[in-house]
Parts: sequence; structure tokens; C-alpha cells
Amino acid sequence: MTAVAEGVEAIRDRVRDAARANAAVRIVGQGSWLDAGRPVSAAGTISTREYSGITEYVPGDLTMTARAGTTLGEIRETTAEHGQWLALNPYGVDDGTIGATIATGAAGPLSTFFGRARDLVLGLEFVTGEGVVARGGGRVVKNVAGFDLTRLVTGSWGTLGIVTEVTIRLHARPEADESFAVRLPDSGGLDRVRRTLRQLPFVPYSCEIVNAALAERLLGTSATTALFRIGGNREAVRAQRVALAELGDVREIDASVWDRLRGVEPQQALVFRLSRLPSHIERVWAEANALASRCPGAMLHANPVRGVVRCVIPSASPDCARHVADAFATSTETIRLGERLPMDLWANVSPAATGSDLAERIKRRFDPNGVLNPGILGGVA
Amino acid sequence: MSPPLPAALPASPVVAQIDQQLVDRLIEIVGARRVLHQPSELLTFTADALPSYHKKPSLAVFPGTRDELIAVVRELARRNLPFVPRGSGTGLSGGALADGAVIVGLNRLNRVLSIDAENLLAVVEPGVVNVALTRAVAAHGLHYAPDPSSQAACTIGGNVAENAGGPHCLKYGVTTNHIIALTVLLPDGEIVTLGRADGEADGYDLVGAFVGSEGCFGIALDITVRLSRNPEAIRTLLADFMTLDSAARAVSAIVATGIIPAALEMIDQATIRAVESSIYAAGYPTDAAAALLIEVDGALAGLEVDVATIEALCRDSGARTVRVARDEVERTRLWQGRKKAFGAMGRVSSHLVVQDAVVPRTKLPDVLAKIHRIGKDNRVNVCNVFHAGDGNLHPNITYNAADPDETARVHKAMGEIMTVCVEAGGTITGEHGVGLDKVPYMELIFSPDSLATMCSLREVFDPGRRSNPGKVVPVHACREWHAAPSARRIGSNA
Repeated sequence: MTAVAEGVEAIRDRVRDAARANAAVRIVGQGSWLDAGRPVSAAGTISTREYSGITEYVPGDLTMTARAGTTLGEIRETTAEHGQWLALNPYGVDDGTIGATIATGAAGPLSTFFGRARDLVLGLEFVTGEGVVARGGGRVVKNVAGFDLTRLVTGSWGTLGIVTEVTIRLHARPEADESFAVRLPDSGGLDRVRRTLRQLPFVPYSCEIVNAALAERLLGTSATTALFRIGGNREAVRAQRVALAELGDVREIDASVWDRLRGVEPQQALVFRLSRLPSHIERVWAEANALASRCPGAMLHANPVRGVVRCVIPSASPDCARHVADAFATSTETIRLGERLPMDLWANVSPAATGSDLAERIKRRFDPNGVLNPGILGGVA
Repeated sequence: MSPPLPAALPASPVVAQIDQQLVDRLIEIVGARRVLHQPSELLTFTADALPSYHKKPSLAVFPGTRDELIAVVRELARRNLPFVPRGSGTGLSGGALADGAVIVGLNRLNRVLSIDAENLLAVVEPGVVNVALTRAVAAHGLHYAPDPSSQAACTIGGNVAENAGGPHCLKYGVTTNHIIALTVLLPDGEIVTLGRADGEADGYDLVGAFVGSEGCFGIALDITVRLSRNPEAIRTLLADFMTLDSAARAVSAIVATGIIPAALEMIDQATIRAVESSIYAAGYPTDAAAALLIEVDGALAGLEVDVATIEALCRDSGARTVRVARDEVERTRLWQGRKKAFGAMGRVSSHLVVQDAVVPRTKLPDVLAKIHRIGKDNRVNVCNVFHAGDGNLHPNITYNAADPDETARVHKAMGEIMTVCVEAGGTITGEHGVGLDKVPYMELIFSPDSLATMCSLREVFDPGRRSNPGKVVPVHACREWHAAPSARRIGSNA
């Protein structure tokens, strides 16, 4: 725990040493998701895991400040004692750190209603590639003081700075929070869900449509299924359940389904997302199914509100890998976003995330020696 | 309300002389009527909605098309001239003032370029007025959620620059939560695309970086915004309290329930009285110490339950009366009083200063008590009308600027109020922006390293530091900062 005592200065000094020596470093939180992103070649690592702990939490403010190494589990437990939560449940497990969650801009099923990391982070402290400790934002829920370093660093995968502390917005838990499953027809079901939600007077907390393989894993029923999570007062939730019955038989399911969905990917899985505007969700779903067609056990889930299909291929056989690679090599209007991919596939995700001149110039400003997670986002980063 | 202006500004041959060539060139681009360079023509552009600051631009140019705008900015870049992008000039931080720089007025770029109701998107030019966008999409049952009090006049481009908020941002988020992508004209004339409108993207959040950059990073040529569906039902309540403290406690109690009101506004007695004696009289009880204007919206089912919960919480916290607007007419009236409060206060006195600090919500009772004390100690009239649900205070003071003693006391009180808010863990601006007005306070909340890092980011977008120079970050906080070139100086033989 000495790292905690030394605090952010120790991290700063490590970065300064690395910058002086031009020695790239890999930034690590819990280290549970190291095969995500493009491969990084780095001489050393800087871990923020030991720099942990909630530094400020006044429940009435519905905000929390925590050091980067604080786990999502600790945040979940602490906020639950006060009937609150951080409404951000990124894919993975709750051992993950808040620092890595914000740095990777992670989002999970709750993003349908609550938004992504960028919408819930209020401020952060980070160490730039020059070893400068800077802060953006603040500790209050609304703030426009200064240029928005907070959003710039959120989702930058450590390439602009090492996140050392974050302030996040919390929400009070609703009176009722229920989850439902609705079995969908084999074709046209996704667009029907999308159009129905577009008309209904509420937005669900979560809506993920899972393919048969994933439904089998999560619910033991092998059929395309829409999973919903809705929250509010009891009367509102009751009415929302009735409204969802338009889509088919609504079956109540345990809320643990969401954590099972988040944790469904094994180590070495191949994971990517496809995205277009929500009105094209059927086309993206078809594309995802075609991509995964030679990959037995491929688990797909679609968010028709965000217009995203996430593909989890637990273990890619050579035939499956070749098929996916061939498919990736063909051009498409669909946006491909990689999470965990073999090296050769990264060339075909679209576009290299830091591909723009402007992004490269920002990278060079914040990390002139290119020592922070080099290559993880492609381009100079 | 408008501040006294000098009877006649000194004739400024400098401007005309310097830039006859520039003026000619700009006239070539936008037409003679769209280039203002006579001091009398520029009077309107010497201030924004914050009357305490006046700066003289060297000239003002109003392109009418995207191509004209690009040509104008490239011309200014070629001549290395500083410029200030300006929308409707409704800002409250002096952010759109130009001290010798060229004003690039964007009001004429006011087209809604496309509406995709199915995917809840619209693409607009920067000069589209906030409420005009909502009107343009109303037929689809949609609206644009961020609703600054100046929404009848302010532009989406200005909202993007300031990361504008508004009463309904408590539930729906501020501007940055509603901007999907932007095409931006950098100050050197380069055109870049930030974010993407055709699906989700990863990579650096350049949209997030640009929104709220107060015109220092360039000019948005077009803006892709997220639209929101109109709620099925809306309920608006007015609760009045005999003490500020009980009203503040009601705010905390409501926020803690998990109900996210669409809006939760507090109006104190001084403001109530100003509103009630104006043409915006909304029927607020003038003997109350404070009133809360609370709105919940969404699906009809369950909404009355939330209304009942809020009503009970208000009464438990000491509300004297709680009334629910019976119809749209009453609702509009209740809101009119809130939204026009600043206008109403203009009746009281010739000058008005307003702050925009945000404090943690649990600190509201304490901070409000301290603000009250500061007002008393300095013998100034502090009114509070603000977004209580966010902890976003708007203490404002009306005064007579012709009285130097009163003016000094007002400025002293404002400084003390800001210090109290920062000491409570707050920030100096929640939605109005730093502009010129709050630059001196930036060092209260950011370290020199943080400010220098902000400067670095700015320099990526604007290495010449020509776009809205001198705003947001104190000049001395920027390492290797060189004085921005002044339009007046350039070409001047004086």
C-alpha cells in the first residue's frame, strides 16, 4: 500500500522518468482487460490499482470522488448503503477499476437511459505524458469552467494522460427496478422493438436483444430475445411492463441477468461492435450474424436505441477466424469498433481512432514523447 | 437596462485607415451591407447581455452562407487578424466581446439543414435560434432539450460555445450531452469533422473538447444535435416557503428520492417581488421567503405519484402552500416569471451583475445563508433565482453604476460570494461560461498546471491564438504566451 501513501506524485515521477528515457509504459488498472485495444509495445507498466479509495462521498450531493484504483465493486457497495448507484455497468466484472472504466469510456446496458462514461464523469485528475498533474471539471454536477479536459481524457485509453482520480455523478435507486424478457420472432423483431420504443413515452434503463446462443447462456432458452430493464415508481413500471407486452409475452427475469451479460466473455474471446444509426439496426444485425456465421457459440447482442450490435466470439476456430478476417476485409458503411481482436484485424476496424490530424496534434501536445500506451488507439497514439 | 454609453465614440480613423483594403475584400465576400466598420454601427456589438463590460471591435462582418464564412475566416487568417465569433450576443460572461478584434457574426447562418426524426437527429447551422430548432421539429413530436432562459434569442452555435444549460438540464443534460458531431472551421481556415453522425464512434472525444470552448477553438459550420421526444405529460408545481432554509431542504429531499424532476428552480423573495411588480407577474406569493418551481415530466402513468411524493416532501420541509398548475396557461405563466426574472430586475435598477457558481447540493442552505449575510454586510441587494436542483446559483445584484461607492460594494460582495461558493467545493460557472468576467476567478479553482494544460489544448485548435483572444484562461497562465495580435495595431502607422 505504499503506492497509496506516495499517491499521485509517485505516478507523476514514474511518467517523468519514462518521458526522460523515451521508454513507453503500459497503463494498467486491475489488469483484467489487457488484451483490449490494439497491441501496445511498452517497456514497463504503471499501475493505478494501488492508488485507490473513495476520497469524498456526500450522499445528498449524489456525487463521489474516488481514486483511480477504486473498484466498481467498492463503489457499488458503498453507494448501495445509501440507496444510490453509479449507473454505469460496463462489460466486464466489478473488479475493474473506476480509472480504467473512465479511461476506456466504457459503457454497458444502462447506457441506454443513463448515457455513457462521458455523461456521468464530472471531473478528473490526470498525469500527462510530460508528468504534469492536471485537473479538469470539478466536483459539482454542472460546470463549464475552463476547457473540457474531462471529456477529452475520458475514453482516450490513457494515451493523453493517466487518470488518477475521478468525480462521478450518482443516481438514487428508483422505487422499482424490474427486468423482463420478451421472445422475438426470427425476423424483423429488432426493428419492431426499435419502432415500439420510439413510440412509447419512456426510455428503458436497458434494452439488449440477444441472439439464441446468448439467450441460451443467460436464460436457458434458445431464441432471439429482448431483455428490458425499466425503473421508476411502481405505477410507472407496471404501466411500462404493460406497454412492452405489445411486443409479445413479457416474462419477468432476475436482475442478475445484466451482470451475467456483462461477464459473458471469456479470456481470449474475440469482441467487436458494429454500429449505424438505429433505423439500420436490422441491417447491422444481419451483418453481425453473417460475420459470426462460421463461429459456433458466437454471442450477439443489439442495442436498438443506440444502434449498436456487440459480437462476442468465445473461441475462434481457424475457420471462424478466417471468415471474420475476410468479412472485415470487405468495406461497409457500418462502423466497426474493436474491443478485443487479433492483431491483423485491427487494420480493418473503422477508422483508426486517432486518425485525424487534430487528434494526432492533441496526442503530441499531451504526450510529446509518445510514452503513454503507444499504439493502443492506432495512429500516433 | 442598457448601460450609459458615451455620447459619441471618438472617430476612429485608425480602424478605417488600417483596413480599407480588408474592408474592401470583406465587402467583396459578403456585400457592403454586411460589413460594419463605422463606430456608430459597431455600438451594438460593444457589449453582450452582461452590461458591465464594453469593448470596441475593429469591425464586424456577417457572412450569409457557409462559403462566405469560410472565405471571411481564411481572409482573416491570411492577415493574421484576431476575431471573435458571435451569435445573438445574449451571453452573460462578456465572452463575445471583441477588444480591437473583428466580430464574425453568425446570425445569418440560420438554416436547419436536415431533420432525421426517426433517429432523433438534426443538423443545423450555428446561427439557428434555440427555440426555432424546437419549433422546426415540433411537428415530429420532438424538441431540442437544452433551454437557456434566453432561448428565444440565443443561437445553437452560441450554446455550443458556452455549453449552455437551462432549467430543464437537471433531467436532460446540458448542451454537451446533446451534440453528436460538428463540422468546424479552425481559425487558420482548415475544416475538420469532430465526432460522427452515422453511428457510434470511439477515439478522442473531440466533440466534448469543442463544446464549451467559448469560441477559442474555431467556428462550428454545422452542428448535429440529438433531439428529444416530447414528454407525454408535464406537471408543474409551485411551492412557497417562509424560510430559505426550508426551501433548500426541500430541494435536497426531492433530489434524494430518485425522482429526477425536469426542473427544480428556486426564486427568493427579492426576485419574487421584482417579478410580481413587473409585466411578467406570475402569481408568486410576495410574502414568501422563497418559492420552488418544480416540474416533472415523462410518461403519464406514474407521474401523479411523483407529484404527490414531491408535494409531500415540500410540506414535510415546511412549505406553506403547494399548488399544481391546472393547465398549460397556468404553467406558462409560472415559467414566464422564472424565465423573465432578470428582465424584471432590470426595472429595479439600471445595472445588474449575475453570477453562475455551482455548489454541492447539500451546501445550498449554508451557502444561501452566507450570501444573504454578504449582501447585508455590503449593503447591496442580492437576489437569488437559480437552478436549485443542480446547485447552480445565480445570485445577482442590481445597482446604479453611476454611484462609485455602490459599484465598489457590489464588486466586493460578488468577490466574497464567489469565494464562499468555491470554499464550499463549488465551481465558478455552471452554464454562463468564463468569458472575460470570470477569468480572474479561474486561479481559485485550477492549478497553474491545469490552466497551462488547457492552454495547450487551445493551441492545438488555434496555434495563433486568434480566435476569441484573452478569454477563459488568464493570459499569464499560458506558458510562452505572446500577446495576441490586435487588429487595431496591424496596419496602423500610429
